[in-house]
Amino acid sequence: MTIQTSSDKDCARAWKSMPWVLQATAPPEERDWLMHHLAQCEACSGEFAQQSRLRSALSLPTDVPVDADRGLKRLLERLAAPEPEAAPIRPWSSANRLTRALAAAVLLQAIGIGALGVWLWSDQAPHYRTLSQPALLEPVGALRVVPAAGMKLADWNKLLHDLGLRVIDGPNDAGAYAVVPAGPASSSVSALRRLRADRDIRLAEPVDNTP
Amino acid sequence: MNEPTSDVDSRDRMLLQRMAMGDRAALETLYRAYHGGLCRFLSRLTRRADLIEEIVNDCFWIAWRKAGSFHGDSRVSTWIMGIAYRCGLKALRQRGDEPVDDYALREGRGPSHDPDADRELRDWLAEGLKHLSADQRIVVELVYGVGNSLDEVAAIMQAPVGTVKARLFHARVKLRNVLPTLAGDPPTQRENRS
Repeated sequence: MTIQTSSDKDCARAWKSMPWVLQATAPPEERDWLMHHLAQCEACSGEFAQQSRLRSALSLPTDVPVDADRGLKRLLERLAAPEPEAAPIRPWSSANRLTRALAAAVLLQAIGIGALGVWLWSDQAPHYRTLSQPALLEPVGALRVVPAAGMKLADWNKLLHDLGLRVIDGPNDAGAYAVVPAGPASSSVSALRRLRADRDIRLAEPVDNTP
Repeated sequence: MNEPTSDVDSRDRMLLQRMAMGDRAALETLYRAYHGGLCRFLSRLTRRADLIEEIVNDCFWIAWRKAGSFHGDSRVSTWIMGIAYRCGLKALRQRGDEPVDDYALREGRGPSHDPDADRELRDWLAEGLKHLSADQRIVVELVYGVGNSLDEVAAIMQAPVGTVKARLFHARVKLRNVLPTLAGDPPTQRENRS
């Protein structure tokens, strides 16, 4: 008859040590202590018996039949095969496919960024021109006009408006503006005549585009 | 009778050194020495014989190539088991398979010449293992079947020792509750221990 005298603490220690005693890797004193405990504790003794049976069952050879000779023959054939065929990493494994797809996406993106850069670079020229930039060639019919120093801005604007002229350049270093007829209705010849008749205009002459 | 662990490891290290120099006879020796144990170990992950053979061969293909880089930080058996475990998980991933939960499928697949006692023990074990997760089965196999320490199991599974301890604990609790019933005994009363 077994007498139950063990504490829970002893049973917990027994539980921990059972696998290693079964493996024969536990220190001898631990194994002796466990044997002593098992002699006194029915529950742990039953547990240990079950653990022993578990170890025996797990030590049986596998019941899945795998032929070692055939496997070895295939392995040696694989080693003898050319390297790419022998590689265990399949060239089209899902991970590899993902890597290739990502590389292709990056390449495509780089090409797109390059094309965008070229397009932006070629489109650098602004669609406006500042007065400090060199003068463009004036169009046919353009006039060069030098207003008097004392001419009021309102009078200058009114004159240009009355004559249908608009400023396209100037003033240059000599204070001359380039003006052109604003529409087909106005004529540069009549405008020139009237400009010259104005007392506030010091100079009015056609622009000569010829070199 | 089993050889002492240190003798086996010394033999394995010698074989690895020869493999590193291209000695295929050493590879054959190591392959045959580990074939049975690896197949049993991998059968806790999959019951497909063709897949087990492929995983074993992947494992030794890597061992052949990496033999020269084995630094001896662990036993050779731990190193090989770790490679096999990772090859096994990779093979299952590539096929979209899950580690087996089909221990019932084993009926009728085992060799028919098994002694009755062994067959009864296998059936008892298979029924018990059905209640464990794949990771718990692997830990139980490595501790009880192979005889690895917790540190070695942690190295093989590349998991913290605490995780391995927890897996072993929960596996044992589950087995304690189901195995006696399978054997016709009443289950042990205590459910948990620290």
